[in-house]
Amino acid sequence: MRTLIKLSPLLIPFCVLFLGGMVLAVAQSLGFFAPLEAEGGLFAAYSRLLEPPFLRSFGFSLYVALVSALVSVGLGSVLAYGVWKLPASLQKTATLYKVPLILPHIAVAFMILVFWTKSGVFASLAFHVGLIDSAGEFPSVLYSGNGLGMILAYVYKETPFVILLALAMLKRLDPRLIQTAVMFGASRPRIFISVVLPHLKPVLHTTFIILFLYSFGAFDIPFLLGESSPAMVSIEAYNLYFQRDLSNRPAAMAMLVVMFLFAALFIGIYARVVSRMEMRERKL
Amino acid sequence: MRTRGKVHILMLVLAVCWGLFACAGDEEDTGGSAQAIDPLTAEWEDILAQAEGSTVTFYMYGGWAHVNDWIDTYVAGELKTRYNITLERVPMDAAVFVNKLLTEKAAGQEQGSIDMMWINGENFRNAMEAELLFGPYAEKLPNFQAYVDPDSVAYDFGFPTNGYESPYGKAQFVFEYDSDRVENPPRSYEELLAWVEENPGRFTYPQPPDFTGSAFIRQAFYAVSGGHEPYMTGFDQALFDQGAGELWDYLQAMRPHLWQEGSSYPKDSAALDTLFARGEVDLNMSYHPIHAQSKIIEGTYPETVRTLVMAEGSIYNIHYTAIAANAPNPAGAMVVADFLLSPEAQLSKLDPANWGDFPVLDPAKLPEDIREAFAALDLGQATLPVDDLVPVAVPEVPSDYVEALEKGWDENVLQ
Amino acid sequence: MKHWLYMALLVVLFVAPLLALVVYALAPGWRFPDLWPHAWSMRTIEQVFMGPQTSRIFSHLLWSVVYSLLTTGATLAICLVPAQHLARHEFSGKRVLEALLLAPALVPAMTFSMGVHFAFIKLGLADTLPGVVLVLTVFSYPYMLRALVAGYQAFGREYELCAANLGAGFFQRLLSVELPLILPSAIAGGSVVFLVAFSEYFLVFLIGGGAVPSYTGYLFPILNSSDRALGSMLTLVFLLVPLLLFVLTDVVVTRAYRKRGMY
Repeated sequence: MRTLIKLSPLLIPFCVLFLGGMVLAVAQSLGFFAPLEAEGGLFAAYSRLLEPPFLRSFGFSLYVALVSALVSVGLGSVLAYGVWKLPASLQKTATLYKVPLILPHIAVAFMILVFWTKSGVFASLAFHVGLIDSAGEFPSVLYSGNGLGMILAYVYKETPFVILLALAMLKRLDPRLIQTAVMFGASRPRIFISVVLPHLKPVLHTTFIILFLYSFGAFDIPFLLGESSPAMVSIEAYNLYFQRDLSNRPAAMAMLVVMFLFAALFIGIYARVVSRMEMRERKL
Repeated sequence: MRTRGKVHILMLVLAVCWGLFACAGDEEDTGGSAQAIDPLTAEWEDILAQAEGSTVTFYMYGGWAHVNDWIDTYVAGELKTRYNITLERVPMDAAVFVNKLLTEKAAGQEQGSIDMMWINGENFRNAMEAELLFGPYAEKLPNFQAYVDPDSVAYDFGFPTNGYESPYGKAQFVFEYDSDRVENPPRSYEELLAWVEENPGRFTYPQPPDFTGSAFIRQAFYAVSGGHEPYMTGFDQALFDQGAGELWDYLQAMRPHLWQEGSSYPKDSAALDTLFARGEVDLNMSYHPIHAQSKIIEGTYPETVRTLVMAEGSIYNIHYTAIAANAPNPAGAMVVADFLLSPEAQLSKLDPANWGDFPVLDPAKLPEDIREAFAALDLGQATLPVDDLVPVAVPEVPSDYVEALEKGWDENVLQ
Repeated sequence: MKHWLYMALLVVLFVAPLLALVVYALAPGWRFPDLWPHAWSMRTIEQVFMGPQTSRIFSHLLWSVVYSLLTTGATLAICLVPAQHLARHEFSGKRVLEALLLAPALVPAMTFSMGVHFAFIKLGLADTLPGVVLVLTVFSYPYMLRALVAGYQAFGREYELCAANLGAGFFQRLLSVELPLILPSAIAGGSVVFLVAFSEYFLVFLIGGGAVPSYTGYLFPILNSSDRALGSMLTLVFLLVPLLLFVLTDVVVTRAYRKRGMY
């Protein structure tokens, strides 16, 4: 009881706004509160999601989120190890890596446009190096249907986040472990894989979940860099909700509900798989 | 003691924050005070008096920087000095704010936050059918009575306006090209297809339902299915299926040779403008014949950009402003709509340095000096003379076709 | 030498892109295939700081700062007591509850926000500042909660008990003992909350409906337009706010603690 009272400042907004919002989203996906009378039964909106266009969008979102989270976590942990090894005098300057953290997502998307369009900074560089003779020869990094633009944007924005968390964890790593490994003649990649990564593992798992789910469901970056087809699920839902006629409202909400259910399920399964793997490792 | 002082300051800051929070809430609640008069029946003087000192929110497409600037500087400035009205421009796509109104109506909100909107075509029809608009008010505007030919603005994409929107500008669809880069641009839809095949990757169009992209496929629809006449009488499914089939064939034939092999389309006309300005595509399109000249003046386009119209015809339309039925300030919005129709505002709007949008006023009704001022305005070398534009002008299709075409494009071309 | 190379790598990866924005902002005519612009211009500086849009730009910026600060304050207010409880007490189902309470930051924000939008319209909260702050608060409080729980775990109950033994009441304990101790954590969490709120585009667009001005809302159409120079300049202006704020809090807090000899 005391616990409930103490937690109430948080529990009340959580239940009313967050859970309430979820309930309302589900209700709208089932056709309640819709501006038009729903047709075709309670789950009509969900049956629409079984059609290929949505499945393709869903798969595409998964792919973009997975690649960008994996690359960010990988790159971030390597870079964090590098920062950790810097002498104390340089540590402070190294915080420059935090710059993308304070950039909003839409600005990061804009920077990707500036650099990677066929007439962007990298195209100019390629031209001067002699790799291409005209803007048209520059490879289609953006809008080519493979989501590369969005992935680049997420990696740029998210890698510093990984560095930040990994670095905090590395502060607790005893440098003598590394020295010992060096004495035994371990190579640098070997040290990274056998000493540093295991130490970082818990925090890397958490960041992977956070980044994966964020890129999976976010709106800002795909809104600027997204491709027409397949589009990210968030953009599909937005277009259905705002750009098309009202009969599409339940379908749009159903997409969002599916997105949420997937996220919840993912957290559950991921946590379970990781803990099981750790159990097995301990047994070994 | 010292500690406590600091903490007190912190608490004070928090208290002030929450106070602000509460005040802002109150302000929002009383923002649009109760209407003392009914603007639909009141005398114009009373409407002016009611509008004095008020704020009008104007929801409009925000992708054209020069149009934004014109609204924020010239229009907002004049409204302030003439009527003491504060104009708040809010950038939002037309389909999005119509949907916003629909949601508000479904939720039973009696007073929203949109006063005025820039709207036409299927968005207007959707808003009318859902009874989201305030009116009829257009005939009450003094400048409408004085300078507008009512017959010219009776229909919007085949849907009767009935005074629920007031005219704002006139536009006609043109293509843009850089005469330095492209010596022989295509001048008909037939040539366009051949040109696209010969110049792979150098052409694309904004993804419908973007306004410009949607207009492009409507024009192609006319061109490949034998002109606009059959469609003018209203929606006919059989007729649509036949014409649309030819349109999908045409666009499918074009698709592999488009920018990015047609796997992706620019999200809106602003995105296509960017591609064109940066030389990533060779042809651009605009629903504003003077758009290219504005871009030249702005410095985004090279001086050598020119415009052209397709031989099969070029769609023209009139775009409008409308007032939301749940507008907090309909009287103020009427005054703004009236100001936008004034000869001064229409003249300023025509200037390519400002916006370059054609006036909706009837020249026959204008005083001599104003007519001369319109004629004297230099529309720039990139703009086609009216004598080139008028002969190819064709009307917009009824709005049912618009939605059918946009949906069909999604299913037959995009996927 | 090796270290300097590594520093150079960090700079190239994370800072150089910003420098490109600076160049763009000052050279609107910079285009393919020039590696370096031919001409410089003050156009965007004039547009942003001395032009007809200046007052609009800065009023949007101010609104963003206001709702972000309010959000930060609101998250602090709702998390303070629960964080202390979560840090100090054990109860059944605590782990599950903690995980649940972090959910708003993890699962896609679009779902709950678009669900709640409808209710907000009914309640008159849509298109208002309180509505925007509420939704941003729900979206971002987990960062504050995490920081505060960690902060409370770092120091024990001794201070509080000591103050209680000396006869301090609940509020006095809260104000004179707890807050100064938890302040660093609150600032750490608050910085993240502020950033999240300040950078958010979609939630403010949805709930604010354009009636609540926001800098991201102002920025978006320009980033999407053909004027890369103006987009670059406005992005740089955007960066100034969090930078200033962080420097300011850093200075103020350090000074406050130094004065009290706690640092």
